[in-house]
Amino acid sequence: MNAGAASPRQDELSGRWRSSTKRLLLVYGAFFVAWTVVLIGAIRWQTANYLDGIVDSILEQRLRYLSSVDRAHLPALLAATTQLDLRGLMASGLFDAQGRYLAGDIDHLPSGLAIDGRVHPLPDGVQRISGERAGRMHAVALRLEDGSVMLLARDYRVVDQVGAIIRSGLLWALSLTLVPGLLGGYLLSRGPLRRVRAIETAIQPVMRGDLGARLPVSERRDELDMLAAIVNRMLEQIERLLGEVKGVSDSIAHDLRTPLTRLRTQLHRVQQLGGDGDPRNDLVERCIVEADALLDRFRALLRISELEDIGRRAGFGVVDVGETVRRVHELYAPLAEEKDIAFALEADSLPPLRADGHLLFEAIGNLVDNAIKFAPRGGRVVLRAATEGGRVAIEVSDDGLGIPPEEREAVLRRFYRSAASGAAEAAGHGLGLPLVAAIARLHGYAFSIGDNPPRGTRMRLSC
Amino acid sequence: MARILTIEDDAVTAREIAAELQAAGNEVDCVGDGRAGFERALAGGYDAITLDRMLPGMDGLELVSELRRAGVDTPVLMISALSDVDARVRGLRAGGDDYLTKPFAPEEMAARIEVLLRRGAGVRETTLRVGDLELDLIARTARRGGTALDLLPLEFRLLEYLMRHAGQVLTRTMIFEAVWGYHFDPGTNVIDVHIGRLRRKVDGNGFASLIHTVRGCGYAMRAP
Repeated sequence: MNAGAASPRQDELSGRWRSSTKRLLLVYGAFFVAWTVVLIGAIRWQTANYLDGIVDSILEQRLRYLSSVDRAHLPALLAATTQLDLRGLMASGLFDAQGRYLAGDIDHLPSGLAIDGRVHPLPDGVQRISGERAGRMHAVALRLEDGSVMLLARDYRVVDQVGAIIRSGLLWALSLTLVPGLLGGYLLSRGPLRRVRAIETAIQPVMRGDLGARLPVSERRDELDMLAAIVNRMLEQIERLLGEVKGVSDSIAHDLRTPLTRLRTQLHRVQQLGGDGDPRNDLVERCIVEADALLDRFRALLRISELEDIGRRAGFGVVDVGETVRRVHELYAPLAEEKDIAFALEADSLPPLRADGHLLFEAIGNLVDNAIKFAPRGGRVVLRAATEGGRVAIEVSDDGLGIPPEEREAVLRRFYRSAASGAAEAAGHGLGLPLVAAIARLHGYAFSIGDNPPRGTRMRLSC
Repeated sequence: MARILTIEDDAVTAREIAAELQAAGNEVDCVGDGRAGFERALAGGYDAITLDRMLPGMDGLELVSELRRAGVDTPVLMISALSDVDARVRGLRAGGDDYLTKPFAPEEMAARIEVLLRRGAGVRETTLRVGDLELDLIARTARRGGTALDLLPLEFRLLEYLMRHAGQVLTRTMIFEAVWGYHFDPGTNVIDVHIGRLRRKVDGNGFASLIHTVRGCGYAMRAP
């Protein structure tokens, strides 16, 4: 049983949790990727800087060495350098003062290169005699003492390649850590989530009012188990206290019934002694009516306890719901007519239901009795039974004042009566709906209270 | 005058039962023990028995089923603190004829005993008559002083029950149990409203009233 929208739905709860875990994983993943990109950038930048320095110092060293040797040996040395450089990274050239080619594997001075003995980048590279053209190069040119110009250049490709290797290495590392990380995180988060959901399922009966249910405690004895154990201890205590309260109220009701019945008997005797026409008879009659009302109240109270305790299945059989609602309608139609209430019956052909026929009749009867009490004179009450999504739903609606949403849970408790409905003063013992709730619980039906637009209440038993 | 055996171990309840039944003009014997009660009942000579379900010596259920096995068919009113429908079914299945839950109003108990005492008289009639009211059970028609009454099926059943027990006091609970077949408190004044409607049809049109209200108790159908 629940009171309609009052309690949060189970799947909404777990849905929210699931998405929060996912979000956490995504945020973590994005953070990790961003960090790795920064790392790659930093390493690449540092490496490039370092390699730049090396390339430039190699060029400078070579230049210093070549400029110090005898001018006559220079062309041979340049040729040897080219030959020794197996990877073809180096290039060199010797030009006379007018810039004409003398020796080396470069036949012209690249334009825009300052002849100052310093290393400069050459973004477009240099055309060699062999026709090969390297991409990016660093080059240095120096005017020798005899006015000729020596040019040394080194291919920069290597540095770019090293950067590419570093980048791809780090990208591999990133994907290799990110994939198992995210997967592992997802799997890890699923374990506790599954257990939370198990706890949620286990606590549903408690939310419906069955305090006998307990949360599952696993062998792991971890934080969740500690929490479950604490909640279980709390439930035990609540169950014990509620049991005591119920026991006390039941035994008061039980003990008071006998003397009350005797009191009623004595009143009845007095009435009989008085004979017809005795004016005191009316007074006695009123006393008897009061005593009967009290006895009714105690009877209903004990009946609810009885229904809560027995949880019996003995009276269960196959019940024709259509026939049951027709008979309820037949029983209460005259009562509605007395109040000028239009009492309609809407019953489709319904599948048979496994239920206790007597209790089902009593529950529907109570709902109708209640609706007739709260509908205004000249109002309308509808008793409707239909199949909805494979389940039989029995609805009783009226056009009375209605029950505010915040009171819907409370009216299912014993003796609660809506503060808003002044009309309820005359209306019975306030135990009708708790009785229906008890019968619904016994059958495992959902009992809910909702609005009946534009005004009034709609009570619903989902069988 | 009828002879009634009350088997009840609670002295106060036994006194109450005896007083009420004696006031109705019956002779009452009280026994407080199951075994002794069984022997008295077996000896015979009683027109009805009130039987507490929980008894020392011999349990009420066992007692009544033993009685039936021995061929004694004296009507038995079972009285029990167990109000559960199951308990009622078990009590009736064991051989009880009616079932009353403690605590009870003595006049309710007396009314039920009265019904049990008159049981069997005129069961096979096809037409019931009370004064100038006539109920044809075969044709399912009702006539009052020659005029046909227009009754709904439920009203017919209610009238039949009242007429079958003409002259007897019938409580609201008894009427609800017999006509509707349910055992709970239907609440408010549902039965009164049904009787009221039936009364307008039967006793209206200037006829003398046949359906009487018994103060603080229920209804009775009596010829004027």
